[in-house]
Amino acid sequence: MSTKKTIAIIGASGNMGSAISKSLSKGNYRLLLCSDGQGKVEAVIADIKNSNPAADVESAECSAQASWEADIIISAVPYAAEKEVAAKIKEVANQKIVISIANPLNETYNGLVTAADTSAAEELQRLLPNSKVIKAFNTTFAADFATPVIDGKQVDAFIAGDDEEALQTVSEVVSVAGFSPIVAGDLSVSRTLENMQLLLIQLGMKYNYNWLAGWKILHN
Amino acid sequence: MYEVFFRKFNEKVALLPEEEEFLKQYLTPKKLRKKQYLLQDDDVCKYSCFVEQGALRAYLVDEKGDEHITAFALEGWTIADLSSFIRQEPATLNIDALEDCELVLISKSAHDELMLSMPKYETYFRILITDAYLALQQRTTNIISLSSEQRYKVFTQMYQSIFQRVPQHMIASFMGLSPETLSRIRGRISKKK
Ligand SMILES: NC(=O)c1ccc[n+]([C@@H]2O[C@H](COP(=O)([O-])OP(=O)(O)OC[C@H]3O[C@@H](n4cnc5c(N)ncnc54)[C@H](OP(=O)(O)O)[C@@H]3O)[C@@H](O)[C@H]2O)c1
Repeated sequence: MSTKKTIAIIGASGNMGSAISKSLSKGNYRLLLCSDGQGKVEAVIADIKNSNPAADVESAECSAQASWEADIIISAVPYAAEKEVAAKIKEVANQKIVISIANPLNETYNGLVTAADTSAAEELQRLLPNSKVIKAFNTTFAADFATPVIDGKQVDAFIAGDDEEALQTVSEVVSVAGFSPIVAGDLSVSRTLENMQLLLIQLGMKYNYNWLAGWKILHN
Repeated sequence: MYEVFFRKFNEKVALLPEEEEFLKQYLTPKKLRKKQYLLQDDDVCKYSCFVEQGALRAYLVDEKGDEHITAFALEGWTIADLSSFIRQEPATLNIDALEDCELVLISKSAHDELMLSMPKYETYFRILITDAYLALQQRTTNIISLSSEQRYKVFTQMYQSIFQRVPQHMIASFMGLSPETLSRIRGRISKKK
């Protein structure tokens, strides 16, 4: 039997945080959910337990405590809040996998606030130099987690990072969530991945995909 | 978070402040609650585990499903499935927490890097392994040459701290005795006093 891993989800009350928590509660994971407002996390936990009474999920008093217990940390907060979160977890996230899901969109959704030669993931890595930052889940909408198969096809989920073992571990997490994991390259590939989601959002607004859309690589 | 770790390290090999900072980059701080697993057999042992606070045990499960405790670890001790850690092959041991624990983990990749880049870490690890080997040799010798009663006495002298924190049936398991035999031995010893 493989050892159960503990995953801390920071921003677990949000659209993405709650969707990720719900889908990972089916796996061999112990989940620690935290956010700014505790009450909202309790509602997410109640929802998970309702559909899966055996789920190993708990609320955590703060992101630092949760990250200290965790093997993997998912930062599911807006890009603008990552500096504050990183400062809180820096010490306890040492050597651990930190998943960056953020898309650093501007207010009008027509561009990114990051410079062309960097990405939200690389900025997080700069803030957490001794952690293994991995980009994942940024090209999947929150609504996709409930429906990871769209139009008969399993949605692809791209992963980028610099540590081989960490990429492998995160690929497993992505599979448990129901997506087909594709390792896209090193952490700088996050620039492309974040722009891919910008494009998908723009297309979604233009053609009314209703947030249920995703990427699929067609190949033989 | 790393207080006991660096105190014990410095007892073996003295570190300069900048060397402590360098080493810190490679450490994984981890909390484990009572009854949670650090390692389950069949998984590869990815970490060597130093105990800052709390207590853990390592045990194997035989074909009949019975548990046999092979080691305990308290504050200041290191625990791992060493052969699985070194060879990165599936473990034969399970390691779980007997109390809420605060741990300092060193992953195999961090360990490998430190062995190459930090001679003081290599020295530390050599001393750690040498001490563990000596303790193992002592334990083997005791099993072969002493009566159960003598072994029980040696155990209580050597591992007083474990004795006070761990239930009797686990001590029996560690000594390779049934709980009934252990309680008979204890009865005989207390009568002699
Ligand atoms: N929505 C999507 O489909 C989607 C898809 C891909 C990637 N993403 C990325 O996922 C991230 C979250 O997006 P979302 O749509 O889920 O946003 P959201 O619904 O607004 O949720 C944000 C979460 O972050 C928490 N939070 C905000 N500021 C915080 C702080 N300073 N410290 C700790 N927690 C804080 C919030 O907690 P409170 O509720 O308590 O304030 C909430 O739980 C973003 O980076 C976004 O780019 C989103």
